[in-house]
Amino acid sequence: MEDFEQQLRNALARKHQPPSFEAKVFAAVAARRSGRSIFWRWAAEAAAVLVIAGGFWVRHTGDVRERAAGEDAKARLQVALRITVTELSKIQKTVRTSTEDE
Amino acid sequence: MMATAGSATEAKAEAVPEMTFAEVLRANQSMVFSLAYHFLRDPGAAEEVAQDVFLRLHGKINELEDAKHVTFWLRKVTSHRSIDYARKRGSQATVSLEDIAEPSADEPHGDPLLNRRLRHLIAALPEKARMVMVLRYQEDLMPEEISELLDMPVRTVKSHLQRSLGMLREKIDRSMGDIR
Repeated sequence: MEDFEQQLRNALARKHQPPSFEAKVFAAVAARRSGRSIFWRWAAEAAAVLVIAGGFWVRHTGDVRERAAGEDAKARLQVALRITVTELSKIQKTVRTSTEDE
Repeated sequence: MMATAGSATEAKAEAVPEMTFAEVLRANQSMVFSLAYHFLRDPGAAEEVAQDVFLRLHGKINELEDAKHVTFWLRKVTSHRSIDYARKRGSQATVSLEDIAEPSADEPHGDPLLNRRLRHLIAALPEKARMVMVLRYQEDLMPEEISELLDMPVRTVKSHLQRSLGMLREKIDRSMGDIR
């Protein structure tokens, strides 16, 4: 039995890996690392694009709001001027009527 | 072999990176490759499995406590990865075992023909029984250690060993005469 077990040990003795094995493992490790760094570079670029786009959007909505407020103020001013003109015409008419009566 | 959760955390905190990845690779590449090779009997597949095991190790090396833990981890992952590989490959293996060139080995002892015949017979064993035999006779592990590696009761390991030994002896005796 011991002889047979020894035969099995001989048969299953460790084999040598191919000579290029170590280099292949290091290459695979390096490839995985660079794959990771490519991912992180891509993620950083995507984040930068999002930040820039977000900035533009905030600026754009601010501009739109400002323009709307300006238009609103202009409209109010026009209404006020119209009222003033109307009131002044009334006053002028009153003054003219009273001058003619005298 | 494996520490409990609490002691593992303590050990991790105290762990000193004694070995770099390159050192671990150099010290264990023959063991990992041979485990996969003796199980799969295909040098290309064995190389693929061994590479995958070391890639996994690279991401895990800081979590392993010492050289002993690294060896245990490598044996366990290689065994399971080889079994998975064989299952995935299934019946796709069309190359005859006799046609495959064997990787070089130091075979200082034994009859090369008998060794080859034994390897051929071991390759024909069912997956679990084959891995038990490879771990027992390549790595010289005790049934208790094999049981831990393969997550298998010790009784089952012993039964696999007994049955495989009986079958191999019978076939060898029949084909090459009594070697006792």
